Amino acid sequence: MSAVTEPSRLATNKPSFVVCEGNEAAAIGVGLSRPDVVAVYPITPQSSLVEHLSQMIADGRLRADLMNVEGEHAVMCGLQGVALAGGRTFTATCGPGLAFMFEPYVRTPGLRLPMVASLVTRDLLSPQCVWGGQQDAMVVRDAGWIQMYCETVQEILDTTVMAYKIAEHRDVMLPINVCHDGNYLSFGVTRVEVPDQQEVDDFLGPPNVNWHIALDPSRPMGVDPLTGGAGGAGPRNFVRYRKGQVRGMQNALRVIREVHAAWGEKFGRYHAPLVEEYRLDDADTALVTIGSMTGAAKDAVDIARDKGEAVGLIKIKTFRPFPLQAMVAALAKVKRIGVVDRSVSFGWNCGPVYQETLGALYHTGKSIPVISFIGGLAGADITVEHFARAIALTRELQWGRDPNEPVWLNEND
Amino acid sequence: MGKCFSTLQFHASRCDGCGDCMTACAQAKAKTDDHAYSRIHILPKIAGEDVELALCRQCADPVCVMNCPSGALTKNADTGVIDWADSKCVNCLLCTAGCAYAGIVYDAEVGHVSKCDQCDGDPACVKACPNEALEYRTAARIFNDYADKEDMFCRGLSACHGCNSELLMRHTMRKVGPEVVMAAPPGCVPGMGAVGYNGQTGSKFPVFHSLLTNTATMLAGVKRQYNRVGRDVLAMTIAGDGGTADAGFQSVSGAAERNDPILFICVDNEGYMNTGMQSSGVTPYGSWTSTTPVGGAMQGKRTEAKNLPIIMTMHNCSYVATASTAFLEDYYAKLTKAIEVAKTGMAYLHVHAPCPTGWRFPSGMTTEVCRMQVRTNFIALWEYDPANGLRFTHPVDRPQPVADYLKMIGKYRHLSEEQVSHIQHTVDDKIAYLRQLTQMAAERRPAPAHKVAVGNTVSA
Repeated sequence: MSAVTEPSRLATNKPSFVVCEGNEAAAIGVGLSRPDVVAVYPITPQSSLVEHLSQMIADGRLRADLMNVEGEHAVMCGLQGVALAGGRTFTATCGPGLAFMFEPYVRTPGLRLPMVASLVTRDLLSPQCVWGGQQDAMVVRDAGWIQMYCETVQEILDTTVMAYKIAEHRDVMLPINVCHDGNYLSFGVTRVEVPDQQEVDDFLGPPNVNWHIALDPSRPMGVDPLTGGAGGAGPRNFVRYRKGQVRGMQNALRVIREVHAAWGEKFGRYHAPLVEEYRLDDADTALVTIGSMTGAAKDAVDIARDKGEAVGLIKIKTFRPFPLQAMVAALAKVKRIGVVDRSVSFGWNCGPVYQETLGALYHTGKSIPVISFIGGLAGADITVEHFARAIALTRELQWGRDPNEPVWLNEND
Repeated sequence: MGKCFSTLQFHASRCDGCGDCMTACAQAKAKTDDHAYSRIHILPKIAGEDVELALCRQCADPVCVMNCPSGALTKNADTGVIDWADSKCVNCLLCTAGCAYAGIVYDAEVGHVSKCDQCDGDPACVKACPNEALEYRTAARIFNDYADKEDMFCRGLSACHGCNSELLMRHTMRKVGPEVVMAAPPGCVPGMGAVGYNGQTGSKFPVFHSLLTNTATMLAGVKRQYNRVGRDVLAMTIAGDGGTADAGFQSVSGAAERNDPILFICVDNEGYMNTGMQSSGVTPYGSWTSTTPVGGAMQGKRTEAKNLPIIMTMHNCSYVATASTAFLEDYYAKLTKAIEVAKTGMAYLHVHAPCPTGWRFPSGMTTEVCRMQVRTNFIALWEYDPANGLRFTHPVDRPQPVADYLKMIGKYRHLSEEQVSHIQHTVDDKIAYLRQLTQMAAERRPAPAHKVAVGNTVSA
């Protein structure tokens, strides 16, 4: 469907290496994926991502149509139009921008539009705050978007490209948020490998995003008529759509694994698709982490191992769909668990990852002590020392501790 | 399908019997002021009744033609006028015996019958009438041009009785045709089944139930992609005033600022008529609505309507116009321009849609209410483009008092004299403001070419 036929000027005949921040790595991944339209509206800490994309388009390095709109709401709406007309899309947002986008955002999965959008995670207001945190992403965890959280700058680039292949898979057809932590990953600079354009083209194939739902005079249809009500075909129609959406989410667990495996084969970089187990096999204690905090957490685990402590780590990459089986398999290996969240679940007095870890734990058939750590809010750093403390507290866990009292890691920083 | 013809329409209530029409006709046909030569006759008022018109109605099933034994009278298949041929007439006067309208009579001065020939489509009498009691209705052209085109909606859309939005939609989409993507935000348009319900749709073209807040932007995205792949698809909406002026305004304003190539038609029924007649940003002052009720402490809406079409001109949209379904030729002319403009820039049409259900007037009166909106200058019909500025397309120089309009409508039933006077004042102000804009347009220097279409890549 895409009209783009000329190779992108990003293309080289072999992989190249650049040193860049996470936002630029995302932009490079987008460029390699050749979207038809990129809609942009700036917001900290996402802004440099859309600036990079705008410059790539201005330079002719990316032959996409740039849509400068008046807000995040319009970003999502414009891209829905593009996708319904058959185009591959990209945008990025976070925090208050995501909140403003919410009305069309929650509609995208129901329309089964396979969009890819970066979520450069940021804490939510109030208190007024412009720094990283995962509260924005966690608030929309039940909005119907697939959520994959990156650990490194390289993983941002790779996951951004993979996201198109996952989203546009016929068994999925759902939008994806590639989440990377505001500040720590968005502005963190490292060396990354940029894959060859032709290889990426071969990997992704052409977009085919509106075979199932389209605004196209050659295939006229009423898109999203009223569906539901208490009588006639309403309830069963609605259930049929909703059930299909849920099934697409579950199918994504398989497709995410397949696509990560295919990526590893083609490009030599294997990222854990759903859950990564780190030094877990003989561990009795594990930390559960998500996102860029994992790097420091792994260092803390290594230090504990050097001291002879049987500590491991479970990193969640894919949070939606929730990787239940992979989590059950990992959790079943240990006797004590500490879950580190970068956001809170209001009313549960814990973090959301903690809460969902408890849900997975039920399926292990084991009843073991678990503790909730909350850290890294509003740009705070979760250091190796913080994780060392978390490991120490988790190792001391006894059954019978009040499960609903979180430890606030940065409380006394 | 059969053909329709233009016709002369007589409004007896507007006629003061001055006779200017007869003078004009006598001049046109016999170069005299003698009314005996006129082919139109205004018969004096009889006590308690209106004046009467004696004039050929150019009947579709004309008795005069059937009665004529010599073939002197024929119905012209192209113009619809009943032609009289001097060379064939035998002066039997059987035609005059058949006509119920005194439309063909023996003229002693010239020695044979005479009848109206509509001055070849430019009737002298109509131009002479000072009160617009005579109108030459040429709307038949619309039927002739479009009746054979496919109605793009199914039969039986569930619009309220007397709704002119359904009329507007059917006309519009018949003209637009199938190469279109239409969006319909929440409101009466999807409410009447245009998008559909539980798997069935009322439209024969791609149609989308957009959000109240996003219609213009969503269409801009659709258009981007079709431009990108080199397909000529009109991206358009028929949206209510809530989806345009209130919750939808940011989206409309953003698209207008970018001059996104879309056609945006606002069907303004002055509030949320689909959800129970609540007030919107374009509800006029004084209106009863379910959220600006009438009681001891409040007598309808306390603030003025925002003037949305003028706001759109301030965005430098490529084309902006107001329209009324009582003036369909005017609407068609504007729609034609708007469709063309929407290939490269934003076209905005603001169509007034009096709502019998929500405004409380009999459903048979909708078109008359539309007409009265224009005749009182409650709304003005104009068009604008950045190069030429604003101009009236149907100027009303001698408007009827706005009270004549207000009294037709239940939502104004409670108005005090002061409120009516206030409304008259604001109507006068609004027209004066528009006149200033038309004068500015007339005096302005030639403008440079306006903004061009968006889209930084078109590769196909």
